[in-house]
Amino acid sequence: MKLALWFIVSIVLALALFGSACNRTSYSADDKSKIHVGIVFDIGGKDDRSFNAAAFAGVKCAETGNWPDGTPCGKPSLNIVLRDIEPGNPTSIEPAMRAFAERGYDLIIGVGFAQAPIMERVAKEYPNIHFAIVDGVSELPNVASLVFKEHEGSYLVGMLAAKKSKTGTIGFLGGMDIGLIHRFEGGYEEGARAVNPNIKVIQNYVGVTDSAWNNPGKGKELALAQIGKGADVIFTAAGNSGLGAFDAVEQAGTQNGAATHFVIGVDSNQNMVKPGFVLTSMVKHVENAVYSIVEDLVKGQFKASFHVYGLDKDGVGYAMDQNNQNLVTPEMIQQVEDAKKKIINGQIKVIDRMMQ
Amino acid sequence: MRDLFTIALIWSTVRLATPLILAALGGLFSERSGIINIALEGKMLAGAFTAAAVTYAADSKLHLGAASPWLGLLAGMSAGIFIAAIYAIVCIRYKADQVVSGTAINILMFGLPAFLSGAFFLSSGSTPQIPRDRLIPFTPLVIAILLLMLTGICWYVLYRTPFGLRLRSVGENPEAADAAGVSVSRIRYAGVLIAGALAGIGGAYLSIGQSSLFTRNMTSGRGFIALAALIFGKWRPVQTLLACLLFGFTEAVSIQMQGAIKLPAFFATLLRQTPGDDIPIQFIQMVPYLLTIIVLAGFIGSSRPPRALGIPYQKEK
Repeated sequence: MKLALWFIVSIVLALALFGSACNRTSYSADDKSKIHVGIVFDIGGKDDRSFNAAAFAGVKCAETGNWPDGTPCGKPSLNIVLRDIEPGNPTSIEPAMRAFAERGYDLIIGVGFAQAPIMERVAKEYPNIHFAIVDGVSELPNVASLVFKEHEGSYLVGMLAAKKSKTGTIGFLGGMDIGLIHRFEGGYEEGARAVNPNIKVIQNYVGVTDSAWNNPGKGKELALAQIGKGADVIFTAAGNSGLGAFDAVEQAGTQNGAATHFVIGVDSNQNMVKPGFVLTSMVKHVENAVYSIVEDLVKGQFKASFHVYGLDKDGVGYAMDQNNQNLVTPEMIQQVEDAKKKIINGQIKVIDRMMQ
Repeated sequence: MRDLFTIALIWSTVRLATPLILAALGGLFSERSGIINIALEGKMLAGAFTAAAVTYAADSKLHLGAASPWLGLLAGMSAGIFIAAIYAIVCIRYKADQVVSGTAINILMFGLPAFLSGAFFLSSGSTPQIPRDRLIPFTPLVIAILLLMLTGICWYVLYRTPFGLRLRSVGENPEAADAAGVSVSRIRYAGVLIAGALAGIGGAYLSIGQSSLFTRNMTSGRGFIALAALIFGKWRPVQTLLACLLFGFTEAVSIQMQGAIKLPAFFATLLRQTPGDDIPIQFIQMVPYLLTIIVLAGFIGSSRPPRALGIPYQKEK
């Protein structure tokens, strides 16, 4: 028994040493004169190549002036101290926020709709600390709500999907079945119908719990089922599970060197995940929203109100780059740009399915 | 209804059942020897992460080309064995409580891949994506044949070899087996390590067969479902295979059902939805579990575990 105990203790110690070696900065070394920003990610984790990744890119840009991969982000570093926490499960979100609040951080950012009620509880107890919630809303005087008009961006990629589809059937793959994701789905369907009123939209959700964001195996099965039913363009809004749909369209194969089925990425620009198979990505510029809220705080202009990012503020959009320029014709872009102008000046009103 | 039952459904069933079958057959060896295997989930996660990480490294760093997924598979299997070895030492040598130490392994494996992916890939819980031509190239048909063969081998080993007889006797009555000259702990080590190997392969299938990367917690409960299938299959190889196939089938049906079947008028009024609407996804997701309960209650009868399951063996002095 003793040997086992020593074995376990030594493993724990080794991990602790290893961990501290990786993480060179210690909390005691923080410079108190700097603005402290803490960010608490969603269950997907900052490496979901999607929504959380975009939020991380925003704070990283504010901290260092670079994207997480080291390339310049085109904005100045704001000289802040940044700490992030990735909760392993929903119950560790609140302790994570409280830990930042206890240490007297200046701004605490929560990522994801699920954190809004938790943030309300914590923010009430720390009225002197600034909070910001991405994708959630709160009316407390010290909480800024960063929300996006996902339905507008989804409308545009829905148009692209309908233009690209040869079968007249397109798919939508959502992660967790919640109002926020219905907003993506609704806009997508509306945009597709604007191009082709008879188009068939198959919609699937991975699940109803938060493990639905982390199940690429099931995401792939759902995408394959949609392909089996004739869908040739699939829009994913499913975090890591959506990556399964990328595998599925690739598996569906190519004809004369060109892909027959396409996927539309979400939140971050995912065009480079499987070049040639990704029609476009419905980007949600969480990084810009997060950067500007940090910038506001640094400049002393923090406003605890609703910050709404739609097409008008470039908060959402569709991604074009060298990976998909051969998949989207100038004529398609022309039509989408027209619709974009009409949405911005109010001629087209995209229904927000979350509010229904 | 007709477009629900297609050939695609069969392949989907095979793909969804594969990790379950591998893990459950592995668990079978461990549980028949008397060691509860609640750590299947953790072993699958270890296998999935190691397989993806090694395949990626073998392809992009060592340029092994088409050999990479096989190296990854081997590594995934070894990772399963390694975790199983820790579990075996704790449970067999030090006679720790099997449920508690199994749970500890599961919790460790929820966190460890996230930590290691940070060290190796500057990521937090996932590996980089592996190109499609570096994944295990088996079609569902090949996999189905291999799984049938594997089940046959398991059956043969368990019921027709001296090792199988010893394994079963150690799980039923270790005192008698010991008196007959069988080394209880050696047999149990073998059982747990086989479980680790198979669960590791099951995990590897998830990350480098079905998907193309490891993401945090990607097994999402499959280890526990495998355990349920094992109990459901009364700790027998063929029945366990059928149980896994049933779980895979119900999940495949629920996947095909989503958006394909409209709500019949009667239920629509019952659920206060418009007839012709899609069936609510919450309901569809219930289907596998509902079916399981019905089958369990109606057709299976009582399921008796090996008698010495969960009891550490103390040799009489």
